[in-house]
Amino acid sequence: MKVSKKTKQKTKIKLIESAVEVIIEKGYKSASMREIAKRAGVSDPTIYNYFPTKEQILYAYIELKHTEALKMLKEIEDFETYSLREQLQSLIEAELELYLADREFIQEIFDLAFYSSSVKLEELYHTKELFTDMIKEMFALSIEAGEIEPQPFEEFVPLLFWDYFIAVVAYWLKDDSQSFSNTTRFVDYSMEIIESVIKANLLSKISDFGLFLFKTHILSKISKFGMKPSKFDSVKRRFMEVLDE
Amino acid sequence: MSSKTIPQNHFAKSKVIGKATLKIGVAKGKSLVKRKFLSPSKKEQEKKENNEKIAEIIMEALGEIKGVSVKIAQQIGLNLTFLPQEFITKLEQSFNQIPPLNRAVVRKVIKSELNAYPHELFGSFDSEVFAAASLGQVHQATLDDVCVVVKIQYPGIEASIKNDMSVMRFVLQKATKSKEINHLVSEIADRLYEEIDYELESNNQSYFASHLQNPHIVIPKVYKKYSTSKVITTQKLNGLILKDFLATNPTQEERNHYANLLFQSFFDSLYHLHAIHADPNPGNYLFMESGKLGMIDFGCIKRVDEKFLRLYSKLHLALIERKDEAMIMEFYYQLGMIEKDEHKKMKEFYYKVLYPLDSLYIEPFVSGEFDFKKHHDFSKKGFEALMSIQKDNGYEMDKLNQEFIFLDRTLLGLYAIFEKLGAVVDTNYAIELMRREI
Repeated sequence: MKVSKKTKQKTKIKLIESAVEVIIEKGYKSASMREIAKRAGVSDPTIYNYFPTKEQILYAYIELKHTEALKMLKEIEDFETYSLREQLQSLIEAELELYLADREFIQEIFDLAFYSSSVKLEELYHTKELFTDMIKEMFALSIEAGEIEPQPFEEFVPLLFWDYFIAVVAYWLKDDSQSFSNTTRFVDYSMEIIESVIKANLLSKISDFGLFLFKTHILSKISKFGMKPSKFDSVKRRFMEVLDE
Repeated sequence: MSSKTIPQNHFAKSKVIGKATLKIGVAKGKSLVKRKFLSPSKKEQEKKENNEKIAEIIMEALGEIKGVSVKIAQQIGLNLTFLPQEFITKLEQSFNQIPPLNRAVVRKVIKSELNAYPHELFGSFDSEVFAAASLGQVHQATLDDVCVVVKIQYPGIEASIKNDMSVMRFVLQKATKSKEINHLVSEIADRLYEEIDYELESNNQSYFASHLQNPHIVIPKVYKKYSTSKVITTQKLNGLILKDFLATNPTQEERNHYANLLFQSFFDSLYHLHAIHADPNPGNYLFMESGKLGMIDFGCIKRVDEKFLRLYSKLHLALIERKDEAMIMEFYYQLGMIEKDEHKKMKEFYYKVLYPLDSLYIEPFVSGEFDFKKHHDFSKKGFEALMSIQKDNGYEMDKLNQEFIFLDRTLLGLYAIFEKLGAVVDTNYAIELMRREI
């Protein structure tokens, strides 16, 4: 029997949703592919046609949310009149809004990505393509409209923003304020900084090395709010440096 | 375009306070040294300049912590009646400087408060800011083709109030001589928490709308389904603000009509509702078609109890009818405006502090009608009388009954509007209500 593309997409979404449920209930490790398939009303072997591994479901989830976020942004009537900052900020808020129902699940992925090796951070990064495409598009639109100057390191800016977004999610996961208003404030304040960096065309004024510093600088600032780099890392790095010499 | 970044953490704030305190210390120290050499007449000038300097330093500190602080400044102006005029002037300059919410934040707040995005809730929603509001901003929208305004609060304001108030407490303690600052700071904090509770505001507004029965007063309808503690949606009124109304060259009759409406609504709400709309900012009144007056923004409501109201009426009637001072002093004592002491001291306090105030306050009521065109500087004199008390440093004005001061200040605010209107007001209306109360 030939399965239409549409049905296929539906099944895929159903499987992702079931996986979210099962993982929230049982944790990532204890969630079995068999149970996810059962919950979605799909036969055991079929699930493997869609997702060869459990990890793939996680990546598909992130991708799905990016697609949905894009749809949400497209629904904003006067989005084309938004400033670059407003567009970027809307994207962040849209993603968080979508994550809200699955907050525990997001927490699980985060723990896996940051505190154990079961989910590879680099793999998670591969799901960001749609995200970085959106960022690229927003920057392109802004440059076309004459809002900002063309940015150097064009390739890096969306990646940098993705890093920033991860930090926002980390902050959000720790946020216990009502309606996560602290996250909104955190995003608003930090976007003000980002906006002024972009508007001052600061990136063009610094070299490759400067960009590297800038990136680590921003990340270390952000780490104040949530992610603390472990001391262990810095010890290891020193060791590697010695070896290099 | 972007403003200075806001010091968010406590550490940054304490640095700001430290700097301000140090400067105040220097400003005070300087004037202390100088003052000894100056003649008494110059002293007054010197003190004024010094106050201005201190106010400037406080403003600088407030400027750096921004956000809620502006609102705190405004509340200080309203509540700390004993502060020198120079402080108040500086503080008032800071009004309406709250950083605007961008469209991403507006969407997020509406979504998390009303559980849907603006375009899903409203027929149309104008993402451009319509007006600034207390700790938030106002947007225009439509609901079933009816024009409405949606007021949205900046997220996470409560936390800021808590931080900023502790900063303010410190700065005020250093800047003023009063040791009684704590209860006033708490009072301000309470007012602020009240003001950011839009649910309270929408309840107040509905209460006033259904109880203040005057066919010429229009209070916009609140759409409760579209209102929470952080978002409030009300009917939009079409009308002119005072400045624009005056530009249309209204007739004397129209001027009198509106002034009397305002005057009556103040005393009607005081005596029938036991609460007043205590923010007589001209922007809160809209001059509408066919002689109607719109009242908006019920964020600042002062409630009074019956006991206070009875005493307030008795006192005013006694003053108007020029009863003897023993009786008047007794009422003042019962109102908590004067401390029980030996007769001579009480009398001295009365004549030095209260008499200049109430002789002025009573003026509009004595002949039953008052022409604010003729007395166009009446409110100025009133505020000055209130402030001049501070200059006699022997008295602690912060012990005075706050309700009393609040009512008088609100009334003075209305008088300032009447002066701009150049209107004649029938003050008998108020006297009748006072008579009925006792």
